Amino acid sequence: MDAISVEDLTKKYGDNKVLNGVNLKIEEGEFYALMGPNGSGKTTLASIIASVRSPTSGKVEIHGRKPEKAKELIGYIPQENFSSPILTGKENLMYFAGLLGYSKNKAERIVDDLLSKIGLSEDANKKVSNYSGGMRKRLEAATALFPRIKILILDEPTTGLDPSARRKFLGLIEELRGKKTTILLITHIGADAELASRVGLIDKGEIIAEDEPEKLKKASGLKDVIDIETTIKSDKVANVLSKFSEKQRVLETDVGYRVYCKDAEESIPEIVRFLDAIGCKTTKVETEKPSLEDVFFQLTEKMVREVS
Amino acid sequence: MTATLGKTIKEFLRQKTILFWTIAWPILWVLIGSFSFTGNAPSEVVPYIKGAVAISMSVFALMTAGMANLPGNIAQDRERGLLSKLMSMPINPWRDLVGRILALLAFSSLAAILVMLVGYICGARFSYTLIGIWQSIGFLLLISLASAGIGMLLGTFIKHVHGAIMSGVGMAVVTAAISGVMAPYSSLPWLLQEFAKIYPISSANSSIAYLLVGEYYAGYNPLSAAQTTLTIIISLLLFIAGLIAYSRFCWRKE
Repeated sequence: MDAISVEDLTKKYGDNKVLNGVNLKIEEGEFYALMGPNGSGKTTLASIIASVRSPTSGKVEIHGRKPEKAKELIGYIPQENFSSPILTGKENLMYFAGLLGYSKNKAERIVDDLLSKIGLSEDANKKVSNYSGGMRKRLEAATALFPRIKILILDEPTTGLDPSARRKFLGLIEELRGKKTTILLITHIGADAELASRVGLIDKGEIIAEDEPEKLKKASGLKDVIDIETTIKSDKVANVLSKFSEKQRVLETDVGYRVYCKDAEESIPEIVRFLDAIGCKTTKVETEKPSLEDVFFQLTEKMVREVS
Repeated sequence: MTATLGKTIKEFLRQKTILFWTIAWPILWVLIGSFSFTGNAPSEVVPYIKGAVAISMSVFALMTAGMANLPGNIAQDRERGLLSKLMSMPINPWRDLVGRILALLAFSSLAAILVMLVGYICGARFSYTLIGIWQSIGFLLLISLASAGIGMLLGTFIKHVHGAIMSGVGMAVVTAAISGVMAPYSSLPWLLQEFAKIYPISSANSSIAYLLVGEYYAGYNPLSAAQTTLTIIISLLLFIAGLIAYSRFCWRKE
């Protein structure tokens, strides 16, 4: 039986169709990442699965039951920091243990165990307002790790975390793999999605591709990605680069561009020469393997601002 | 229910602004009222004037707790995503609500007791009977329920934390000022005297003053059967309206 089953799910807000016939099946114990840009419908989908929102039409089942009848199996972590900043970490977890009906003694035992699992035992009695962003996120993740919870739904948990906190948080999620916990990770960060056993790419309320991360990359046909840092960024530079890129698509980054080509070694000297000719110096050129973000960009022409 | 009770009361007790507006501010007015506004009064009535001031400020503490602290707490939980999290959990909204109300009653009682205690230390005296005390506790409960009802309505329909708190403080201050909680009933114009009888918080305040310091300080007899029934009914209606709004709209799935 699937842990999560979604059939022909739609969600409308007035005339705005946020989900458009989504089908999704996630097996028990699977780590599934749903990746898409802001406004693609991924948070809406997660919140319907978590029974926080209701669908306009379609069917959702959690271990064969309606979501509202399977709440005890779901650990949902919304995007916002929902823990109380004026309570301590331990008090926050004791509150959730109380809500789940644990007796005080049992709650104490479980909470101490959870605090140790998330590496916050030493900070358990500090107010959450004194926690870093990463510590707070780990604390909140712990609210979904109580016994009996079988499905973890994480909505953009690493957004706003520094690289070290992000790694620690993802390490915690990695530890849960193989423990029969089903994980649904909502993200717009390709590197986070790569950890999953299967990734679904969502755009405009539809899942446009779904497979293992490596298979998705292979299926996209992308070979090499050239990451170029330039002294200037302009339409003229982008136009030059687009001639070297597959489907003439160039992705603009903070410091330059990403160019998708068949043979990077052959293209790089040409690119540098052409850019020189229009007075644009290249400060750094690197060849990389395509990421899931690149795959998404190739499929949708979206994700970050496109220059043509 | 006990989890929500514990969490909410800790949040009330640890926020300085809540402690200031619900406990320190009424106490400040008890001190000001006790020492500044009794200069020309005959010495034998001064303790009762102080008693009336202490009662009014206790009532104001209950109003602030219900009308500002409760909606602030609800709006805060909604704004930081806690209500979404709770909706995904196997929790009955009514149990959450009862936990919040019990926390409010416990915190309000603490505030009211402290204000009365300061009043007593400042020389407030009361003329009471045992039954009068029990009746007064009943009226204090009605004030808390009516304030909580208004607070739940504000917390449900005003989405932002500061908006909910400021609306609650405004509602408490304005209605207390125009209904005779903060000013003597006899000094109110005719229209506001009528409002003071309909507004259950001021009529309950007058009832307590009538029971503990005498009719003169209440301004009229609020303990007639009709007036008491009206006070009870409107208090309960406000509370029920708040309960329905909170459970229907705060926990409603979009």
